[in-house]
Amino acid sequence: MASLCRQIVRANACRNLVLSTARRGYADKMMPDPMEHATGLEKKELLAIQSGNDDPFNMKVLQKAAGTRDNPTLVPSCFDARIVGCICEEHSTAINWLWVHKNHPRRCECGHWYKLIEKTPL
Amino acid sequence: MNYNNNNHPFHLVDYSPWPLTGAIGVMTLVTGMIKWFHEFNLNLLMLGYLIVILTMYQWWRDICRESTFQGKHTIKVSKGLRWGMILFIMSEVFFFLSFFWAFFHSSLSPNIEIGMMWPPMSIITFNPFQIPLLNTIILISSGVTVTWTHHSLMENNFSQAIQSLFITITLGIYFSIIQSYEYFEASFTIADCIYGSTFFMATGFHGLHVIIGTIFLFICFIRLLNYHFSNIHHFGFEAAAWYWHFVDVVWLFLYIFVYWWGK
Repeated sequence: MASLCRQIVRANACRNLVLSTARRGYADKMMPDPMEHATGLEKKELLAIQSGNDDPFNMKVLQKAAGTRDNPTLVPSCFDARIVGCICEEHSTAINWLWVHKNHPRRCECGHWYKLIEKTPL
Repeated sequence: MNYNNNNHPFHLVDYSPWPLTGAIGVMTLVTGMIKWFHEFNLNLLMLGYLIVILTMYQWWRDICRESTFQGKHTIKVSKGLRWGMILFIMSEVFFFLSFFWAFFHSSLSPNIEIGMMWPPMSIITFNPFQIPLLNTIILISSGVTVTWTHHSLMENNFSQAIQSLFITITLGIYFSIIQSYEYFEASFTIADCIYGSTFFMATGFHGLHVIIGTIFLFICFIRLLNYHFSNIHHFGFEAAAWYWHFVDVVWLFLYIFVYWWGK
């Protein structure tokens, strides 16, 4: 039984190696192209970064816009609401957290307005 | 499956039985150890080994599936795994620290019972410039070859990656064979006063870690042959290489303080 297992393992272990050497020549076998190799969410992230979007999941801290009622800071979200943390002044030691809902621009207590805008998920 | 990720880069794992089977397995393992010690019966211990090994195989197989085949390991996930491996290796450092503490406690101020000398009276130590030096050269060389593997991976050189990783694994196995030969040929045992205890506990656990590291590298070898790695994403291999460097560093401390200073 053990020798049978050994035979199977040996045959299969060498097969890939032999096939690859026969196919391309041992000296110039390359690693797979990372774009071709990636799949799923990882690939989407890589594609987004490649096309210049270094924040595909909108996780970075946003720069505030003017923040008036007519010119609110636009907060991207794929859903109906998002938590926003307003750093009211540059050196505030506390963050003011608030929910912002779709179609309902909201004002932080410091006077800054936020509005949700749609974003398609990655 | 892709669109359900709620627009974040994190991996919320699907339901899995392996944490539970792992817990059951290690409990069976240690209970089996007690049964072995007291009743000289190996059955429960063997069952514990089996459950733990099956859990490890299936859990890590699932991780390979989630990362390579399903693409769930984004950059954030990879960073988290890096921190995890670093913290794990840190915990192992502290584990070995305790054995080194025991060694220095006994060797810096040797008891009257062993002759107030280190090595103790009548202990014939290994010559550090014979086999232990060979082992040191083997492990340092394997550190070089594993770095060669990493650079080959990053520079798109598949065939050199295979060759260098194969050499690394061979050197690891070579170390284990030579060290076990040393164990057989030793003139003292673990029961031979505090010298034997500290020597075999420290080098014994180190040897176990070499075997674990070799298996980890071997798994990476199999994955490399099956094209699981790309030139920018190969964290499984990096984790194995970090572990291997850690094993190498522990050996260097062992060699310098236990074998050389302690001779």
